[in-house]
Amino acid sequence: MTHPASRPPPEAARRPLLAISGLSKRYPNGTQALDRVDLRVSAGELVALLGANGSGKSTLLRCAVRLVEPDEGSVRVGDTELTGLRGAALRRARGQLALIFQQSRLVRRRSALDNVAAGALAHHPGLRTALGGLPAAERARAAELLDRVGLGELAGQRADTLSGGQAQRTAIARALAQRPSVLLADEPVASLDPDATSATMALLRDLAHSDRLAVLCVLHQPALALEFANRVVALHRGRVVLDRAASEVSPADLAAAQVASR
Amino acid sequence: MSRATRPPEGPERPRVGGTRLGGARSVGRRVAVGAAVLVGLLVLGQALLVAEVDPRKLVEGLGGVFRLVADGWPPDPAALPTAGLAVLQTVDIALVATVAATLLAIPFGAAAARPRSGGRYLATPVRAVAAFLRAIPDLVWALVFVAAVGLGPFAGVLALTVHSVGMLVRLFAEAIDEMDVGPADALLTAGASRVQVFSHAVLPELLPTIGSLALYRFEQNVRSSLVLGFVGAGGIGFQLLSAMEEFQYRQASMLLLVLFALVTAFELGSARVRRALR
Repeated sequence: MTHPASRPPPEAARRPLLAISGLSKRYPNGTQALDRVDLRVSAGELVALLGANGSGKSTLLRCAVRLVEPDEGSVRVGDTELTGLRGAALRRARGQLALIFQQSRLVRRRSALDNVAAGALAHHPGLRTALGGLPAAERARAAELLDRVGLGELAGQRADTLSGGQAQRTAIARALAQRPSVLLADEPVASLDPDATSATMALLRDLAHSDRLAVLCVLHQPALALEFANRVVALHRGRVVLDRAASEVSPADLAAAQVASR
Repeated sequence: MSRATRPPEGPERPRVGGTRLGGARSVGRRVAVGAAVLVGLLVLGQALLVAEVDPRKLVEGLGGVFRLVADGWPPDPAALPTAGLAVLQTVDIALVATVAATLLAIPFGAAAARPRSGGRYLATPVRAVAAFLRAIPDLVWALVFVAAVGLGPFAGVLALTVHSVGMLVRLFAEAIDEMDVGPADALLTAGASRVQVFSHAVLPELLPTIGSLALYRFEQNVRSSLVLGFVGAGGIGFQLLSAMEEFQYRQASMLLLVLFALVTAFELGSARVRRALR
């Protein structure tokens, strides 16, 4: 894998790959979804984002990739300031951020391999990909990525025949095909059974630790956050109310942050 | 008596009034239903008059129908080669028109789909043009194209293509509007361009629907191209009209028999293909 942050020197490791500063968003109905949120995620770090429904977790992720426009604040990925970018520049910058959704969002009628390779489309503008083709090199890399997530044998299988856990791991491989430096995961285990949940969380942790990606993962279960994350951040009514190393978070902290301890 | 069980002061009158009001409502409703039935009967009555519907004429004319059928029996085997060629031309007109219309309707259908962000500056005019194309019957388009390119099957191809584009653009756009946008969103956020998203996420999900709608359109175009022959746009319709005008009823019945066999076989085949596409 050729991530920009692979094997970084210690200083670079401490420098955040994702830096969110003073991010605010108020929806037209008056809801203050985000209120001056500051959040940094460094290479090699898995940060769990906790919070009750409506606390602003999903809005934060959507603002980070500009699916939702923030009212103020900045989002910096590596050296690129995302806010203010438009068109092709925004597309290029988005390529550094990979978003994993609660549902896998695979193209059902295409194979796992084709779905993964499609993650690299941003790197291949031109007529061939516009007409539905994919470069052979990307298909070969997609096969490697499917191996990486433990699904090498299912490369040729249609996406709608994969189990929930397999589909989610395929979606993670698609995100990796993008060659991102930051992974944003929006409740990636919400619809998975316990075994698939553990496997998916272990994979995300491994991607952070071994591949030196910055991983920000929205979770509903504090127990998973404490087990797999390096750091826990909790939002309440759009504000960061907890930001601490997972090993130092106590049930009392979670209760104070109004995050149910399960 | 407690407050909970004691009836409140006023309800007596409203209850009586309510019943009376309810009665008035039901009378009003009956009057409205009666008026609607009366209006419906009047509309139907004028339609029967304007359309000059006269069962007596049908009864008197039945003999003529039977005579026509008897004159056409048995179908003339000598007409089989002519019928075969004419049927082939009819099917080919429909085939070329359907393929051309499908290829044209895919990009225009995508343009006509409801945009999920931004304005409708593209969708609205494309939908309006498609509505115009399908509002004009294919028979009228055939008259236009016979005038433009002369008698023959090419005029039929153009007429069916134009009308089918109007139909398919609307159907494809509706299919895109109704599809799951998750995979397309996932590729958009991964930095893919809109054209790439269409060819890698929208089109693969849409292909079975496109195939199914195109096959259905092909069936309809085979039937339409038969009628187009009557105005000189080629195919079996032209042969049928000639045979009828020359009182060659046995030849006409052979043409109809071959067409019936072909349409039936095609409907059975296309139903199977559509099932396989799902």
